[in-house]
Amino acid sequence: MNGFFGTEAADLAATWIAALLTLVVLGGLLGERRLFGWSQHLLAGLITGFLALLAVDEVIVPRLVRPLLDGGIARGELWLGLALVAVTAAAPWVPRVVAAVPISIAIGSLAAFALGGAIIGTVLPQLAAAVAVDRAAPVETLAGVAAAGISGLVLLGFLHGVPRGRPVQVAAAAGRWLLVAGMGGWLGYLLVSRLLLLLDRIGFLLGDWLGIGR
Amino acid sequence: MSDRWPLAARLAPVGLLALLALVTLAPTGGPLRLASGDSAAATAWTEALDALPEDPTVLVGFDPDVGTYAEVRATARAAIADLLHRDARVVLVSLTVEGRALLVAELARLARLEANPTRLLDLGYLPGAEAALVSLTRGPAVPVDAEGELARRLASEGMSSVDALLVVGGNDLGPRSWVEQVRPRVPALPLLALAPTVLLPELQPYLESGQLTALLGTPRDGAAYRASVDLGPLERMRELSEPPVAAVFVGIVAAIVALGQAWARRLAARLRETGRDGADGS
Repeated sequence: MNGFFGTEAADLAATWIAALLTLVVLGGLLGERRLFGWSQHLLAGLITGFLALLAVDEVIVPRLVRPLLDGGIARGELWLGLALVAVTAAAPWVPRVVAAVPISIAIGSLAAFALGGAIIGTVLPQLAAAVAVDRAAPVETLAGVAAAGISGLVLLGFLHGVPRGRPVQVAAAAGRWLLVAGMGGWLGYLLVSRLLLLLDRIGFLLGDWLGIGR
Repeated sequence: MSDRWPLAARLAPVGLLALLALVTLAPTGGPLRLASGDSAAATAWTEALDALPEDPTVLVGFDPDVGTYAEVRATARAAIADLLHRDARVVLVSLTVEGRALLVAELARLARLEANPTRLLDLGYLPGAEAALVSLTRGPAVPVDAEGELARRLASEGMSSVDALLVVGGNDLGPRSWVEQVRPRVPALPLLALAPTVLLPELQPYLESGQLTALLGTPRDGAAYRASVDLGPLERMRELSEPPVAAVFVGIVAAIVALGQAWARRLAARLRETGRDGADGS
């Protein structure tokens, strides 16, 4: 039982709608593409509508309109933000130099946060963790050496178009195969994830909808 | 044979669905349970929660995606119920639209199950992706209409009132984003992550390097945790359905068969081509 729905009439209706839509999606397996495509449009529409609702209800009104009404002229940062939004909306009619300002700020800050975080949070700590060090248990030490070796080979696998000798070529080929093996493993994980999703839907149809096996 | 084959290929998915449904309904028990496997991850998770102070405040980043939530749903519910059973104050926030939609549904479920509302605080949807995560570390924005001691404390003390971070992750702004954006700014806080299997390859290194305190990243780990956790009077919050292992096994076998069939077909085509080339050459 997924537990999203209670026992009232509205919950019952929601269960039926969810069940019918699940059947429509599963019908795609039988080649029924028209209803399947329609359900995809419905999902996209629902997400867009929900996003609009979220934007108005949880962002624009409580974080922009209400503070502006309460704080008035004192909230300079909000007025500045509002001006940038207005410039973005008016981009087709304002000079390109002006229109580029808010977009540049958005892209630049997004890239700065993502890149900075990736270096501080992933690259440096993972580089440190990939260095093989002598640990308490020999197995752990060996695992560290293997991890460092595999990391090195995979990095070599990204060498393209650079003149290099036979040993480096062999190592790069091994790195590429290790990369392929890693991707194969990842696809296996993906299969398990999707399989569990399918089983959850089957369980929903049988248990929540038809009441079998409750 | 050639006329029958397309029909069989077309009906094969229906047959597979019917088989999976039958196996799902079959009684399970004994050793064939997901929770029977290795419980090291579940133990690490429980130890991380045991190490928290009395009445801790836990900030939960709730951003699973619709495509994988079915896999982590039972464990996420058990984890939140476990926190409430430990008298933790649970502060929830979403940074993605899908996460917010699922959180709204889960909060409705918690209300239906009469969870203590004074121990729950919904910070709502926080837009801004990575920038929003950074802003969280400078002090979570408490909604103006939020009431209660928990809201007042969080508003006045900010992140210093938080004792741990828990991320229910999906494909977007999941545990990796928290490791990259939040953990370097609040390194003292333990970071626990609950994620679908598909994220395991990207999260396992964080666990090994100590950037994640605990990780429940596979159905087996989740099942082991759910089997070990005692929810006391909050047992009603537990999701009772478990993924049927036999059905998972059948599904994997079917996938391998499909893969083998595709490979065999390709091999046969190549052999035919080679034979044709040989005949043309002679």
